[in-house]
Amino acid sequence: MEGRERKTLVLGVIGADVHAVGNRILDYAFTQAGFKVVNIGVMASQEEFIQAAIETSAAAILVSSLYGHGEMDCRGMREKCQEAGIGDILLYVGGNLVVGKQDFGPVEKLFRKMGFDRVYPPGTMPEEPIADLRRDLGLA
Amino acid sequence: MELSVKQMDPEEFGRQRQEVLTAWPTGKEVDFDEAVAYQKELPAAKVMAAKLAQGKAKGVTYAQPRAGVALISEHIELLRYLQDEGGADLLPTTIDSYTRQNRYKEAQGGIEESRSIGRSMLNGFPAVNHGVMACRRVVESVGVPVQVRHGTPDARLLAEVTLAGGFTDFEGGSISYNIPYAKDVPVENTIKYWQYVDRLVGLYEENGVRINREPFGPLTGTLVPPSISHAVGVIEAVLAVAQGVKSLSLGYGQCGNLIQDVAALHTLPLLAQEYLKKLGYPEVMITTVFHQWMGGFPQDEAKAYGVISWGAVAAALGKATKVIVKTPHEALGIPTKEANAAGLRTTKQVLNMLRDQTLPQTEELTLEEKMILRETRLILDKVLELGEGDMAVGSVRAFQAGVIDVPFAPSRFNVGKILPARDTTGAVRILDFGCLPFDREIRDFHQERIARRGRDEGRDPSFQMVIDDIYAIGKGMLVGRPRG
Repeated sequence: MEGRERKTLVLGVIGADVHAVGNRILDYAFTQAGFKVVNIGVMASQEEFIQAAIETSAAAILVSSLYGHGEMDCRGMREKCQEAGIGDILLYVGGNLVVGKQDFGPVEKLFRKMGFDRVYPPGTMPEEPIADLRRDLGLA
Repeated sequence: MELSVKQMDPEEFGRQRQEVLTAWPTGKEVDFDEAVAYQKELPAAKVMAAKLAQGKAKGVTYAQPRAGVALISEHIELLRYLQDEGGADLLPTTIDSYTRQNRYKEAQGGIEESRSIGRSMLNGFPAVNHGVMACRRVVESVGVPVQVRHGTPDARLLAEVTLAGGFTDFEGGSISYNIPYAKDVPVENTIKYWQYVDRLVGLYEENGVRINREPFGPLTGTLVPPSISHAVGVIEAVLAVAQGVKSLSLGYGQCGNLIQDVAALHTLPLLAQEYLKKLGYPEVMITTVFHQWMGGFPQDEAKAYGVISWGAVAAALGKATKVIVKTPHEALGIPTKEANAAGLRTTKQVLNMLRDQTLPQTEELTLEEKMILRETRLILDKVLELGEGDMAVGSVRAFQAGVIDVPFAPSRFNVGKILPARDTTGAVRILDFGCLPFDREIRDFHQERIARRGRDEGRDPSFQMVIDDIYAIGKGMLVGRPRG
């Protein structure tokens, strides 16, 4: 992304989830890929994601959830973005989003319906959302 | 209350107890004297400390799963299934993540939603919300001891409710349930919370009821060098015994190199006994618990069984008293009961086959043991020096100074400067020592081993190497070699 302004991303792990390892790797991978990463870390609330996105004029919010409560923690996030005046911001989510081994199809549908632009299954490598993000932001 | 390793005074305990038991309505179900009487009625087969003592004497390794769901009858069904179909020797009750953060209102929401949609919306059993009588129903529904497993920085109410509820073992500790499980809780606070829990266990002990305590060994479960987790285990052992705990299981999470893992299991109880004695504490029962691989798993179930089996081998050859079992669903989150039981059966097959075998005491094993002993002693002696002889005070200062530093921990009270990486044989070494109080000889040992891997792979050791190691097992390898 030479010669272009670096896009800012807000990265974090939502809810009461403390999985910190993947968060650090994503931080590293997105930074290496040329993005400016605002990492709000683990145990972040919807409000913290949105506040950070407003303060840094972020282009996207990337939500991780590894512990199974993702469905409860992510509900209403798009609506909160709208109320805060950033209704069009890109929202990505990924991880072990529900309790137990479930087919990914319905899980993806559920989170898309909640207003997430992209939904990633367990085991996704950072290269995939990086490529998607470039496409969605018109950088590719 | 000023921080000190000394036993809590009864007035302070009583003052806190009033506060703790009124934090959620179920707290008022706790009646200590009645709870002691209930615990005394439990048959020996359901008492963890008794069963562990038996296993230790016989030299067997028990298998224990992780498990917990939102609703009581479903939870009972799950535990019975793991006992009957999985052959679990010991059972858990894993607590959900809202309860772990004392967010009982959200846990209540999860219970109600689970009820209305007919599947568990919580990743564990919300024991505080369900209360004392529900816990007793769980304990009474199975034939083996049940332990509370969680990840709660402030577990005072959880301990009150579950111990009154008949559980005979309580996992966690002031460091091991803070640094990997919280982002903003000072170590000094969690030491005080856990002194309360340990004092409560001490009070049960003084009334003739033995509750086992288990510091959480694996910490972040991600390339944690044995000496760091051992140092934390010994500290939590000392803090617990100071409050009157008499039965301890010390834990260690599999790194993946068999010799290093067996050396770690051999040295852990020795170090605990050494420091308890040195600091003038009475002798207590110490058992060991080995955690099968805590990092990322392969998604393919057949490959996952391979990882599980390798953990069972290390547990058996290292003569751990028990092993905490993973499941073929690990890469995907919370397992079904069938997958959980399958992990148990796989593990038990290997444990039974290796029951009468040992790993010979080779030169390499002796060297690993020597290194772990030396490194752990250097950390612990520095902790005591920083605390002017007080392990509690020293622990707070050791985290400030980075003398104890847990890789990949979410807590902002952890310095987070050290960087581990595997050597060419898969043993976990240290690439960046941060502020660890290690001498030249130890540093040379680690550097030399990692440099050898760098030469094998034709690259300089870096953070990329560490990332490759973190993903390696999920991708079918132990060491994260470059592709091609």
